[in-house]
Amino acid sequence: MKPVSFEYFAPTSVADAVSLLQEHGPEAKLLAGGQSLVPLLNMRLARPTAVIDVNRVEGLDYVREDGDALAIGAMTHQRTVERSELVQRVNPLLHAATRLIGHPQIRNRGTVGGSIAHADPAAEYPAVALALDAEMRIVGPNAERLVPAADFFVTYLTTALEPTEMLTEVRVPALPQGTGWSIQEMTRRHGDFALAGAAVTLTMDGGACSDARIVLFGVGATPLRVQQAEERLVGERVDATLMSEVGREIKTSIDEPLADIHATSEYRRNLAGVLTERALVEALERAA
Amino acid sequence: MAFEFPKSLDDLPVSKVKWVGKPVNRVEDPQLVTGKTEFIDNVTLPGMLHCAILHSPHAHARIKSIDMSRAAALPGVVTTLTGEDAERWTRPMYTTPQGWGGYVLATDRVRFVGEPVAAVAATSRYIAEDALELIDVEYEPIDPIVDAFAAAQPDSPKVFEDHDDNIMYQRIFTWGEVEEAFQKADHVYKESFRWNRVGANPLETFGIISEWDIVEDSLTCRGSFQTPSFMAMGRAATFRLPSNKVRFIAQPHGGSFGGKGGGRGTDITLMLSRKAGGRPVKWIEDRMEYLSSGGSQAWDRHYDVSIAVKDDGTVTALRVKLLDDMGATAEGFGATGAVKPMASFTGCYAIPAAEYDLTLVATNKLPVSPYRGMGPPPHNFVLEQMMDIAARDLDLDPAEIRRRNFIPADQFPYIIASGNEYDSGEYEAALDKVLEMAGYEDLRREQEEARAEGRLVGIGVVSTIEPGVFDWNAYTVIGTAGIGIPEGVTVAIDTMGKITARVGFALEGQGQYTVITQLLAEYFGTELEDVRVVHVDNLSAPPNFGPGGSRLGVAITGAVLGAAQRLTEKLTKVAAKMFEVQPEDIELLDGMLRVKKVPESQLSVRNVAAIMLNRSDMLPPDVDPSPQATFAWTAPDRVEPDEQGRVKSYLTAANACHLVMVEIDPGTGKVEILKYYIADDCGTRLNPANVEGMIQGALAQGVGAALLEEYVYDDDGQLLTASFMDYLLPTIHEVPFPEKAALVTPSPFTPLGAKGAGESAIHTTPAAIMCAINDALLPLGVRAKEVPASPNRLWKLIQGASDQ
Amino acid sequence: MAAKRDVRLTVNGVAYEASVEPRMTLVDMLRGELGLTGTHVGCEHGVCGACTVLMDGRAVRSCIMLAVQADGAEFMTVEGLASEAGELHPIQQAFIEERGLQCGFCTPGFMMTIHELLQETPDPTEEEIKDALGGAICRCTGYESILKSVRSAAKKLQALG
Repeated sequence: MKPVSFEYFAPTSVADAVSLLQEHGPEAKLLAGGQSLVPLLNMRLARPTAVIDVNRVEGLDYVREDGDALAIGAMTHQRTVERSELVQRVNPLLHAATRLIGHPQIRNRGTVGGSIAHADPAAEYPAVALALDAEMRIVGPNAERLVPAADFFVTYLTTALEPTEMLTEVRVPALPQGTGWSIQEMTRRHGDFALAGAAVTLTMDGGACSDARIVLFGVGATPLRVQQAEERLVGERVDATLMSEVGREIKTSIDEPLADIHATSEYRRNLAGVLTERALVEALERAA
Repeated sequence: MAFEFPKSLDDLPVSKVKWVGKPVNRVEDPQLVTGKTEFIDNVTLPGMLHCAILHSPHAHARIKSIDMSRAAALPGVVTTLTGEDAERWTRPMYTTPQGWGGYVLATDRVRFVGEPVAAVAATSRYIAEDALELIDVEYEPIDPIVDAFAAAQPDSPKVFEDHDDNIMYQRIFTWGEVEEAFQKADHVYKESFRWNRVGANPLETFGIISEWDIVEDSLTCRGSFQTPSFMAMGRAATFRLPSNKVRFIAQPHGGSFGGKGGGRGTDITLMLSRKAGGRPVKWIEDRMEYLSSGGSQAWDRHYDVSIAVKDDGTVTALRVKLLDDMGATAEGFGATGAVKPMASFTGCYAIPAAEYDLTLVATNKLPVSPYRGMGPPPHNFVLEQMMDIAARDLDLDPAEIRRRNFIPADQFPYIIASGNEYDSGEYEAALDKVLEMAGYEDLRREQEEARAEGRLVGIGVVSTIEPGVFDWNAYTVIGTAGIGIPEGVTVAIDTMGKITARVGFALEGQGQYTVITQLLAEYFGTELEDVRVVHVDNLSAPPNFGPGGSRLGVAITGAVLGAAQRLTEKLTKVAAKMFEVQPEDIELLDGMLRVKKVPESQLSVRNVAAIMLNRSDMLPPDVDPSPQATFAWTAPDRVEPDEQGRVKSYLTAANACHLVMVEIDPGTGKVEILKYYIADDCGTRLNPANVEGMIQGALAQGVGAALLEEYVYDDDGQLLTASFMDYLLPTIHEVPFPEKAALVTPSPFTPLGAKGAGESAIHTTPAAIMCAINDALLPLGVRAKEVPASPNRLWKLIQGASDQ
Repeated sequence: MAAKRDVRLTVNGVAYEASVEPRMTLVDMLRGELGLTGTHVGCEHGVCGACTVLMDGRAVRSCIMLAVQADGAEFMTVEGLASEAGELHPIQQAFIEERGLQCGFCTPGFMMTIHELLQETPDPTEEEIKDALGGAICRCTGYESILKSVRSAAKKLQALG
């Protein structure tokens, strides 16, 4: 299990990284935390001609409050987010999701940008990015753009990033005070990728739901927002019966998820419903 | 000469036992915790090359051509190897049963995904792996034979063209009046079960450095060999070389659990070394190779079981029909795992009649290997489910039906229906201990309350036997040869009074060097620091086999005590001459050789050894100046099996009772272990901390087998679990930490009364967890019959119940 | 083959320089180029944790980092735990006394992970210990004795102040 030979670059600026991407074309790979990429290199399933290591790019490791949002540098380690009191205060859902990623050794190296750009549909960060309306700051050869999560995740392991573009920042709106939240997932073992999961936010206003977000992960090619289910909640008094109904409807409404050795499509659908219901229950408890 | 071994710790030549039976720290550990232990991959030899192996991507295909030219031309590649070389230089692989294998590199045909097809030796592993991509193999795929039932049909396509079918072995063993017992039974219960492939997965894979001396045609192999002498003998046969030209040096290894594998890698590296002019060639199997083509997989079983039961719950007969999927060849001794259940076929129970209808079938999957426990864990799983099925129907508590069937404590030694002899046991006492620790009645009340809330909570109570100290006669019925497995040690005392024990096996993790140290320090009255245990190669060691079949702790104890006794006889003669008395007037006590009636007339062992080495003028004429002795132990009274395969095979029968409480999440099917209790009786515990470690470690493997681990092949024979992302080993989060109790029923047959204890809890844990799961599912009227009980499987079962 | 690159790093307080192919993994450099073979390789895909070392104080898996990424960083491996005179580190002592190992192959990775844990959390709860060790696989011990080793090491370290 040894990687194929490749050229290696360690740019120190975003501009240099982007021009290296231009230079080396689609066969080049950006290396962030490497916790997904290097195993693939070792297995020779990833065979880049050039590896552009962005760990030395300056100025991409930060978590700061920026107006109503958190601005997180793409190269911020997941462990930093986990330990950030700011994140815990401003966005407890993001914080909780971080603690579900792999294990401490993974989070020590794994980065926020790396996880989101890798876009594994079973990963936590893409799901909460979608649930929280995060925006991705993308820098290309000529321009910089902000892409909302809804447009960012295109399909399995594929995002709106062009081959010559780099993700530099993730902007995550603060969770409004009083909004309930929950992230629930089913794994075979603690720390494994989720067989399925649900990230939920729930805002209650005078006994009725004023806003709801339900995003499923592990059940499609991308994280999946279930607007139909959200609409069932908005304007309603959310009680056990309704949450159970929403969970049940999800089991039948979502497209047939991919099957693998750990979970059939049918089972994944079931998990999506069960976990959504559990997430709603917890979110409701947390909602002010 | 019949040797008299000390039967218990009280028989050791000390006034107060100081080391044996105590949880002393392990002598192995300082080196291990500092990272200084020489695992094979830490060894680098001058001029060493690195091997990489090309594995078949097809489950079944004809090889039309192999072109190594591009690979050979890559700078850094020194030599290459294909099946042509193997055909020229080796015999086909030794298999059990015989005749079900090919060469170590595929010749005309590949029979499983991962089968070695070609190999290269290069100046680095990186270059060697680059070279693999330049090997051009033309395959013509053939439909793979994947399903065991289909493979067993007479008209099935064949894995080996030169056989009539895919049946490697088929036999029905009948013990006692089985048919009659079923006819007369008040109740007959039948069920089918499936145990999916699991396996060893030591953290260190197999590794080797091979050297072929092309001048004198001699071989030297260093590697992570569980059984170095056995492997060396195999190489002599494979390469048609004189056996004393094959030298095997076992490095300490990072676990084995029976599934270290390595036969093919050994022969491949040897041939590469030969082609490279004798340069050392290293091969470190990587994890994906281990999972797909190594000693990683075991026990791929389909069971049909029935039991005959009387109204009072007495089981009168057991029938087990097993279709065991061996994979493509019989190269890895995996077949022995299907036979071993005969050593404890009827478990802890006095079931007078039994039948074993055994079929071993070839398919296009990785050949199975041994794995800790060797075969009874799945057998125990099915037997114990049947006990619970009977208990439910007869309205008996699961603990009670077991109690009614236990072999009574006063019946030992007891010969079970399948012929093995159990040495001793207190099964009811172990059960009572567990029930007491668990507060069984309260637990059942808790369960009732949980059920009333609609929760799926269940309790399993299971007792099993761990057959210990294997002998080859256990496997005569499938073609292994021989009776007796010598395990030897040479004990030497030097002029400074320091003791060295030389053995033929390397460190593997069980702490055997510590046990040897304890025994010798005790026997000769020294401190632990005065004893050192060293591994020597197969050409220097006394006869030996190494760990396997829960054997080594007992065997090495016998060897050490035998050698110590022999050495003491020599020392005694010298001391007798010094004191001008007869040898029978001298006794060894607390490290002193003293005149029995004149205790102040005494000489230390150290002084007598020094006299032997330095004062030949003082020696009696019949004593040579060598304070050393060698002894090899094997189990006594082993003979050939009878016509139904009945034989006293495993010398000891350890017993454990596990009680586990689980809860199943009905929404996800996930099992949580709520409580776990163990009472374990493996006779005298030579080092109780070692035993505790075996129990807890084997428990973890049992949890893995019951809930997580599974090798999955698709319909094309592709392995879908070729990484640790998909083959799920338990982590600290998944393993319970049970309350444990030790019972001690010494073996009357072994030195000091110790029993084999190395395989331990894996015999019991899967059965106990599955019983608990089925107890939890009881209100739903469904039954889990497949291991592992994955969340998906359980959820589907629960779903099926609610759909009814 | 890509040109080799120079890597300068510090391991256990000793400065090293190596020239490696970009594709070489960190663990292969530590073991093969620097001769620090106490760090073991269990899976080469970042699951088992046997290869865990401390990089700038953080536990990382050296099989899924490239050696070239180590340039300028400070590492600690199992060889750096005991004193130069051979006096064992409290974590090592605890592993011996509590039987935190059997075959010992995974042990260096566990000890480095525990080192990081106890630096930050001197008196960890059972949950904190499990959380820290969840990414490391031991096939021998069943983890109970490792958990005890962590508790014992924590006490020893606290007693040292």
